[in-house]
Amino acid sequence: MFEPVLLRNIDLPDGHLLSSYEAGGGYEALAKVLREHTPDEVVELVKQSNLRGRGGAGFPTGMKWSFVPKQSEKPKYLCCNADEGEPGTFKDRIIMERDPHQLIEGLAVSGYAIGAETAYVYVRGEYVTAIRRLEQAIAEARDAGYLGRRVLGSDLNFDVHIHCGAGAYICGEETAMLESLEGRRAQPRLKPPFPAVAGLYASPTVINNVETLACVPHIVARGASWFRGIGPDKSPGPKLYCVSGQVRRPGLYELPMGIALRELVEEHAGGPLPGRKVQAVIPGGVSAPVIPETGLEVGMDFDSLAAVGSMLGSAGVIVVDDTTCMVKVATRIVEFFHHESCGKCTPCREGLNWAVKVLRRIEAGQGTAGDLEQLEMLCKGIFGNTFCALGDGAAMGLRAALEHFRDEFVAHIEERRCPFH
Amino acid sequence: MVSITIDGQKLEVEPGSTVLNAAERLGIEIPTFCYWKRLPPLASCRMCLVEIEGLRRLQPSCATVVAEGMVVRTNTPLIEETRSSMLDMLLANHPLDCPICDKGGECELQDMVMAYGPRESRFRDPKRVFHSKDLRLSPVIIMNVNRCIQCQRCVRMCEDVVGAVALGTVEKGMDTAVTGFEGSLASCDQCGNCVEVCPVGALMSFPYRYKARPWDLKETDTICPHCGTGCQLTVGARKGEFLRVRSDWEHGVNRETLCVRGRFGLDFIESRDRIKRPMISRDGTLTPVSWMEAGDYLARRLAALDGRAAGGLISPRLPNEVLYRFQKLMRTAFRTNNVDCSSRWSTPVDALVPLIAGFYSRAPLDEVIGNDAVLVIGGNVTEENPVTEYLLRDAARQRRTRLLMLSARPSRLDADAQAVVRMRPNAQGHSLAALAAAVAAAAGDALPVGVLAEIRAATGEPAAIAGAGTDRMASALAQAHSVAVLVSVDLLRSPEARATLQQLGNLLQLLRLLGKGPAMQFLFDRANQLGAWDMGVLPAALPGLQALADEHARALLGLAWGSEIPSEPGLDFDAMLELCSDGSMGPLYVVGTDPLISHPDRKFVRAALDAADLLIVQDAFLTETAGLADVVLPAAGYGEESGTFTNNEGRVQMVRKFREPAFEARNNLAIFDFVAALGNRPLQSPTEDEVFGEIARLVPAYAGLSPDGLGADGAFTRPAPTPPPATFFAGPPAPQPAERLMLITGNCLFHNGYDSERSEILNTVADDPYAEMSAEDAAELGVSDGDPVVVQSALGELTAKLKVNRRFPRGVVFVPENYRALRLSGLMRRGEYPCPVEVRAAGASNAIAPLAGSGKPEDLGGGVAGSA
Amino acid sequence: MTMREEIEAAAARYPSRRSAIMPALLIAQKEHGHLPGAVLEEVADILGVERIWVYELATFYTLFHTEPVGRFHLQLCDNVSCMLCGAEDLLRYLEAVLGTEKGETTPDGLFTLSTVECLGACEVAPVMQVGDDYHGNLDIARLEALLESLRAMAGQAVSAEPAPQPSAGE
Ligand SMILES: Cc1cc2nc3c(=O)[nH]c(=O)nc-3n(C[C@H](O)[C@H](O)[C@H](O)COP(=O)(O)O)c2cc1C
Ligand code: SF4
Ligand code: FES
Repeated sequence: MFEPVLLRNIDLPDGHLLSSYEAGGGYEALAKVLREHTPDEVVELVKQSNLRGRGGAGFPTGMKWSFVPKQSEKPKYLCCNADEGEPGTFKDRIIMERDPHQLIEGLAVSGYAIGAETAYVYVRGEYVTAIRRLEQAIAEARDAGYLGRRVLGSDLNFDVHIHCGAGAYICGEETAMLESLEGRRAQPRLKPPFPAVAGLYASPTVINNVETLACVPHIVARGASWFRGIGPDKSPGPKLYCVSGQVRRPGLYELPMGIALRELVEEHAGGPLPGRKVQAVIPGGVSAPVIPETGLEVGMDFDSLAAVGSMLGSAGVIVVDDTTCMVKVATRIVEFFHHESCGKCTPCREGLNWAVKVLRRIEAGQGTAGDLEQLEMLCKGIFGNTFCALGDGAAMGLRAALEHFRDEFVAHIEERRCPFH
Repeated sequence: MVSITIDGQKLEVEPGSTVLNAAERLGIEIPTFCYWKRLPPLASCRMCLVEIEGLRRLQPSCATVVAEGMVVRTNTPLIEETRSSMLDMLLANHPLDCPICDKGGECELQDMVMAYGPRESRFRDPKRVFHSKDLRLSPVIIMNVNRCIQCQRCVRMCEDVVGAVALGTVEKGMDTAVTGFEGSLASCDQCGNCVEVCPVGALMSFPYRYKARPWDLKETDTICPHCGTGCQLTVGARKGEFLRVRSDWEHGVNRETLCVRGRFGLDFIESRDRIKRPMISRDGTLTPVSWMEAGDYLARRLAALDGRAAGGLISPRLPNEVLYRFQKLMRTAFRTNNVDCSSRWSTPVDALVPLIAGFYSRAPLDEVIGNDAVLVIGGNVTEENPVTEYLLRDAARQRRTRLLMLSARPSRLDADAQAVVRMRPNAQGHSLAALAAAVAAAAGDALPVGVLAEIRAATGEPAAIAGAGTDRMASALAQAHSVAVLVSVDLLRSPEARATLQQLGNLLQLLRLLGKGPAMQFLFDRANQLGAWDMGVLPAALPGLQALADEHARALLGLAWGSEIPSEPGLDFDAMLELCSDGSMGPLYVVGTDPLISHPDRKFVRAALDAADLLIVQDAFLTETAGLADVVLPAAGYGEESGTFTNNEGRVQMVRKFREPAFEARNNLAIFDFVAALGNRPLQSPTEDEVFGEIARLVPAYAGLSPDGLGADGAFTRPAPTPPPATFFAGPPAPQPAERLMLITGNCLFHNGYDSERSEILNTVADDPYAEMSAEDAAELGVSDGDPVVVQSALGELTAKLKVNRRFPRGVVFVPENYRALRLSGLMRRGEYPCPVEVRAAGASNAIAPLAGSGKPEDLGGGVAGSA
Repeated sequence: MTMREEIEAAAARYPSRRSAIMPALLIAQKEHGHLPGAVLEEVADILGVERIWVYELATFYTLFHTEPVGRFHLQLCDNVSCMLCGAEDLLRYLEAVLGTEKGETTPDGLFTLSTVECLGACEVAPVMQVGDDYHGNLDIARLEALLESLRAMAGQAVSAEPAPQPSAGE
């Protein structure tokens, strides 16, 4: 049985209070870092741990931090990506609601490491409870001297502010988030310059996911090799898996990186509902290409999933059973991306609109010969050509559905109806 | 330099260039929509994707910076397919209503589809429709969102270039639409630059809508008549009927931009109050006559006045050729140096000429403001020279030029400035002295000891007069490697103009000693003011700004003209009016200008004009002054005669005619000859080109220029650098703080000069006549924004709408000069500026004691000069 | 705190006032229920930023409403996880009992029915957000009970203070 790290306080009735967090050894990592380590040492430690970003792209966190220029005339910023909008994902919400101090400690340690005095936590506006808990926790942490001027009597000045999102998935894309923080329409920015050099207010900025930041105090407390000892060496650590959809026990599971998808779905999450069979699994939020039942042996880590043409993404595992029409699932996914497209670039804005129209028609039994080629042509036009990864996600998802479940699409067109109705 | 290979061709380019720029250099065409040279790259349309060896994905060439050894391909099958695919996607929801679209025939989307698009679309589903009727965003801008391709050029132009931030983008994804606040652009600049850069027919000009197909238009490249920036524009006319203006993207100081006056304000030429036929005054009313009758009458009257003093006033909005010929006519046929080109200010030639000779930079503005620091003095460049302002904003934002603003009126550009000093309008010379002193102090050791002492002696101790803003400005000037100084003609309005120009000279001299190579240019509000000066339309200066007193120059010119030039110094226009009042003026010849509206003290002007023996008015429009004339001669209007303008940069550009003079009007040049011939001078009737040839021969700055050689971008006149005397003038004493509000005047965005008021379109978009003041003063006076207020001076009063401006300095009221209805000149006193006034709510009882000499501005009776 | 003070407090958290437009709009929406043009102008005035910037944000983000919404905004998630767990049936049910289509408000102004993208609570799919609260593991019976309690809440509020409008729908 894997002993939870990130979720260890999750079932405590008052886990969100400072007292509970402190009782479990909370903020000791912060104290240790301030006492024993220079910022550079913390960056090095995180590099050694091989921690990779939990927001979706899996970029090595320590390396990202090391891009921040050491000398800078401008203040540096730390931004926490708590916009959690990837369908099928709810891990960051649970951390913020039930163990917000874990995030705050992660922020303080990370802020120290990169030399930031200000952090903004960009929380999606729907997460009202999480926002309240986080606000309360920030106030508690300030009172207790974990935040504010001269943290724990050291030279560190560090404070955390919450910025509420207002309903736009694209704000999860890090440069769109920066635009949003600066009070603009959330549309991704050109890179370079990368945020580490010129991010928020054109200042050096690090953006990390909630779960990524929550890992940091544990790495400080227990060491890099402990962290690397969990799961594959190149993609290690404890990992939160969000399981939802047509399974018996949907929920948040903390397990080692690299666990087999089949084990996660069939053992931990209890497998399909009685009398049904798993048809397909989306392993990492709807941006991640769907995996047919036959592919469930894959390990849940960045590299293994990439090798089979999918991705770990946000580890939002959505299980689809055999009573569900995959054309409908694919349509809904593309509709989502279409709805959330920021509208900046042509292929995403126009291409997804076109794809949605064709998909809806096929689903309604009004597809025509040539529609599938048209969808493939659209995927080709969109994939790799969009400004940010949103368009890519949509095209990859649609491609995978067309590839693995072509029969269902063909059946819709030939029978002029949905075979599942 | 970085070497790269594109489509097999190697080249070296500047580091930092984009792949797109590099390809352009090789003549390789890459299609683009969102790319716009003037703007930072957006890279959103994805038309310009190219293959770069070693990279998995296609890259937007507009935003990809070259790297050493980069290998780029722009012509592979994948790229062709991708371009076609982008276009197919753009067309999927495009309405394809080209037959009724204004843009049809000059649409970038059409052209792009022809060149790169799919021949057939697979799209079969219903199209998205935002609205069925076009949206009227403002009186001049109308929008069809269905056609928009989201390149965002318009929004970026509005925010980054114009600085108006009126257009924006609402909703997201497929619903994204460009619009103004709450769907209205009612309070934008109406410059129409958004319309200009729209690649499709989404943003359109309302006045031009459905008027013509582009291929039916005869297009003429010419120069905007509305201010001294001298923007190039292209007039589209059909059979002589004026239809539209667009900018000439490739040429001129402005390239693709224009301001509202240039883009929408040229319809004044169609104004109804054109003078159709010559007229002579019979029993106090003007009666149309033939040219012959007018000639007979004039010949008779002129003969009778032979030997009497004469005077001439001409508008600096007319071409060089006309201006040159006019002063020549006055100096030879009328044998007088009484010739002037402004009725709104005094021109202290003795202080002005050394400034121009010593510091005027006859070079592209773009180059001049590329200097490290740019100091803008006086006026409100945002409203008076909008396109110059766009360039300044760009320099500040993209080139990091330090912008320093020293003026009484706040402007939008202040937001981009590094230092802003609000100078008191009655303390212009004093402010400049303070700045010079502070610069000297900041420069410290960099100055020769003697100079520092001299400057100190002239200007006093800096600490005593400089404020924090001045210090910041001074240290920016002292730190800059090179400095440009742009000066509003605002400085000439005050009776202190001479002292102010002298202090400006001190400052420039100091900057020169510090090695900042200061480049100075004026910010004229009249299209050809510099030309007018160069042409010698000044009482004390001959063509080439040579002093009249310079016997050698006079003799040479006289020889060339075959006529001796009188040596007696001439009078400026104000002095000419004095002469009229004295009853000593014979003929007064007024061309293309309306002094009754513009010269201070309307009562006095009226009386003086009445007292002239013979008032000749030559104009295209029936002005108020023409109403008083003995003879009115109908002249060609803008667009009806060719010639050249010399803009603020000293750039000579062709003004081309696009139709013949309307009705019985004649070219100005022809009329001068007509008048000259009446005085038994032989008729010469030279063409414009011949006159220009003479100018090029006799005016050194124009040497070597010829009309054919001006080229698409015009040609620069040459500075004749003469080191000015290295003496420093003593600073004027600090003026007493004014007890009353100070009225200042100037131009506003929509109107400039009195032509613009004849533009129907400008009148529909312009603010009502207004008076502007600070929120604090307004609150103190109990008046609020939009209230009608009375502005009252010792001489008269006017009623206007109050505009409260939070950034306005206290104690100052601004009223734009250009609303004829306000009769602003009725308030102003000669030789006094700023003008002390009271302001009160209209309708409120007159709380202040009646001031001596006050009278209703309308009351022109009496014929006696008002108290002055 | 007045709205202005709240907005000023929010603005103090950022080095640029433009950054405070989003928080200001959230505050203003709480105060006014939705964001008509006059409110947008007020926000722009308080922050001293361009009006168009405020308008851009008010329309970009789905949580801002420029049009009025009902007393209870029923935001049913119909993204994949919720769809797999029966969100479509719930939508049909709500449309039937409320007599409105999604995107509309009941004539009594009590309910606005919307579908929304993933609410980030898929472990308890299907989920609906009403005001600040999430309601998960929904089925028709639970929905019925929820609507009941919302109506009761509205009724109490109505009887506690004089009814603003006799509601037509009830
Ligand atoms: C369309 C899009 C949506 C995203 N949404 C999220 C999100 O909701 N939460 C998140 O943490 N990262 C999201 N990301 C990833 C972020 O851009 C970024 O990679 C991440 O916040 C970096 O943090 P990490 O290195 O700690 O993972 C998204 C990326 C894209 C392209
Ligand atoms: S792919 Fe393009 S339109 Fe889509 S969200 Fe990214 S930038 Fe916006
Ligand atoms: S021109 Fe490069 S993406 Fe539009």
